[in-house]
Amino acid sequence: MIACIADNIISPMGLTTEENFSSVSNGMSMLRIHEDTFGLPEAFCASMLDRKLISDLFADHALSDNGYSLFEKLCILSATDAISSCALQAESEDVIFVISTTKGNVDMLGTDADYPGCRLAVSAEKIAGYFGNTNTPVVTSNACVSGVCAQIAAIRLLLGGKYRYAVVIGCDVLSRFIISGFQSFKALSPEPCRPFDIDRTGLNLGEAAGTMILENIGRTEFPGNGCLWEFAACSNHNDANHISGPSRTGEGAFRVLKDILGKTDRDDIAFVNLHGTATPYNDEMESIALHRAGLEDLPANGFKGYYGHTLGAAGIIETILSMKAIEAGIIPATKGYGAKGTSYSISASASSRVTDKNTFIKILSGFGGSNAGIAYRRRDVPLCATFRKGGEA
Amino acid sequence: MNELIDKLKTQLIEALNLEDMTITDIDTEAPLFGSGLGLDSIDALELIVLLEREYGIKLTNPAEGKEIFRSVATIADYVSKNRTK
Amino acid sequence: MNTVSHVIITPEETLLDGKCIFRGSITGLYREFAGDYPKFFKMDSLCRLGFMAAELLLKNIPAPIRENAAIVLFNRNGSLITDRNYQKTISDDNYFPSPALFVYTLANIVTGEIAIRNKIYGESSFYILDEYNAAQIEDISASVFITSSPSLLLTGWVDYNDETDYLADMKLVTDKETDLR
Repeated sequence: MIACIADNIISPMGLTTEENFSSVSNGMSMLRIHEDTFGLPEAFCASMLDRKLISDLFADHALSDNGYSLFEKLCILSATDAISSCALQAESEDVIFVISTTKGNVDMLGTDADYPGCRLAVSAEKIAGYFGNTNTPVVTSNACVSGVCAQIAAIRLLLGGKYRYAVVIGCDVLSRFIISGFQSFKALSPEPCRPFDIDRTGLNLGEAAGTMILENIGRTEFPGNGCLWEFAACSNHNDANHISGPSRTGEGAFRVLKDILGKTDRDDIAFVNLHGTATPYNDEMESIALHRAGLEDLPANGFKGYYGHTLGAAGIIETILSMKAIEAGIIPATKGYGAKGTSYSISASASSRVTDKNTFIKILSGFGGSNAGIAYRRRDVPLCATFRKGGEA
Repeated sequence: MNELIDKLKTQLIEALNLEDMTITDIDTEAPLFGSGLGLDSIDALELIVLLEREYGIKLTNPAEGKEIFRSVATIADYVSKNRTK
Repeated sequence: MNTVSHVIITPEETLLDGKCIFRGSITGLYREFAGDYPKFFKMDSLCRLGFMAAELLLKNIPAPIRENAAIVLFNRNGSLITDRNYQKTISDDNYFPSPALFVYTLANIVTGEIAIRNKIYGESSFYILDEYNAAQIEDISASVFITSSPSLLLTGWVDYNDETDYLADMKLVTDKETDLR
C-alpha cells in the first residue's frame, strides 16, 4: 500500500497545510491586481508570495543562505515542515526526492552568468542535498500536469521496491517570463477568476510550494489522527490534438477519468477536484470529459479561485487540500463560481457541501495535450502510542 | 496597397515559419485559417504580436482578430486604416 | 523490457537499429524521411529532434497499436534554448512576447508533438536529469508498466543544446516479447 503520511503547503494563504485549509474554509483568497510588477507594461491579477517573508523564514531556519534561489528556498521550507512532522530521516538511502515544476528558476535566466540551477536537475540536487540525501532526484516537467505526474512517478518508484519513502515537492514562482507568456496567450483574467462560470474570462497565476511524503507501507500502526491516505488509482493520457488548445472532445481527460473509475468504487467518491483554470476552453473541455465519463452529477470543485493556477505546485497542493476537505467532511466551495457556463453540467457550488465519502479524484490538463489524474482513499488505521523516529513501527 | 500586401505576405511567412512558401504561393483573398494555409490559434496570437510590432496596432480582444485575419486582403485593409507606424 | 527498435540522431549521423541511414541536419532528415508535415517548421529544435526520432521508430507500427503507446522522454537542458530565445522577446527596449516561442518553453511539448502526429492517446511524460544516465532512464521507463499497460513505450533521451551538440537516443520497447506487425 502506498500512503501519504505527511504534507505541507506554503502559499500566500498560509505556511502550513492547516493554515491553508483554514483560509480556504473561510473563503479567503490572495488574488490581487499587481501593477508595475516585474517591469511589465500590463497589470495582472495573481496570488503572490511575500518575498521578504520567505527570505526571512529561510534565514531564521537554515544553516546558511548561500546561493539558494527563491524557488529552492520554498521547496526546502515546504519539505522541512513535512519531513519534520513525520520524523522522516530524509538522508536515508531509501528516500527519493521527486520535484514537480514547470519553470523552476527561470526568473534567474539571463542574469550575468546564467544561474546553474536554470537546469532543473541541478536545482533538484541542491534541494535534496540540503537534506543530506544523495540519491539522484527525479524532476518531472510536464507543464501544468507536473504535480500529478510527480506523484505518479514517485508511486511507481516506491512500488518498484527500490525506495520506501518519496518526498514529492511541487513549486513554481512567478516572473516576468511566465506572466508575459500567459499575457501573450491572452489567457489571463484581469480580475479574480471564475471557474466553470458563465462569465469566466481567463485564469490567474499563483505562487505556492507543496510537499507530500509518500510511503510504501509495511507497518501496521500509525501516528497522527487515526486516518491515512491510501493511493487508489492514477492515469495519464494525451489528447493527441493540439500543443496549447484543450481538446474539443475532452479526449485525454475522459480517458483519465475512465481509467480511474475502473479502479475505484464510484459510490465512495466524494468529489472530483477539477483543473478549473477558468479559461473558456479548459472548463468547457472538463465539462465534456465529465459528461462522457458519466460524472455530470458527481460533485466537483476547483481551487483556482483561491490560489490562482500555481503551475507545478497545483497538482500537489490541490491534492492535499482535497484530503483535508474529506477529513473535515466537506466538499469545498468553488470560489468565483456563480452560474453554469459550460455545455454540460459541472456539479460545482459556490458554497461548501457536506460529504461522508472517503475517495476523491484530482485531475489536471495542460500544454502539450497532457492530462493526468490520481485518486486517494481515506483509511482508518490503528494508532500507536509512540511513534519512533524514522517512521519505523 | 499591393506593396503592403506583398510586405505582409513576407512577414507572415517569416513570423509563422511557413517554410517552403513564397509570396506567390499565398492567395491574397484565400482564407488563412481552417482550410487555406491551415493556420491555428497560436498563429492567430502571433499575428496579433506582428501587427503591434510592425504597425503599432494593439488588438486587445482576440475575437476581433477573427474578421481581421480572414485573409491577407482583410489584414492589409485593416492595417492601412489603423496603422500608427 | 524488450526493444523493438532503436534510433540515435547526432549532428554527425542517424543510426536506426545500428545502421547509419542518414548524414546531415535534422531538417535534412525531415526532408528525406517525412516531408509531409509543414507544422515541423513551427517546432523548436528540441521538438524537431524528438519528432524525427519518433518518425523513424513508429513508421511501421500500425495505428491501433500506436494509439495506446506511452511516450516517456528525458533530457538535461529542458527547453533552455527556447527559454533564451523567448527571453529575447521580452527585453525592456523591445518588448513583444512571442506566444509561438512561449509555448515551446516547456520540454514536454515534444511529447505532445509526437502524440499529435502519431495519434497516440497514451501517457506522455517528460523528466529532467542531471546527465544521461541509462540506469535511471531504464528504472523510470520500466516503472511505467507497474501502473499502466501501454501497447508500446517510446522512451529515451532527447536533448538539444545547439546545432553542433544534440542527441536523440530513443527506443521503442514493450513489456514483454510481442508481435507488433
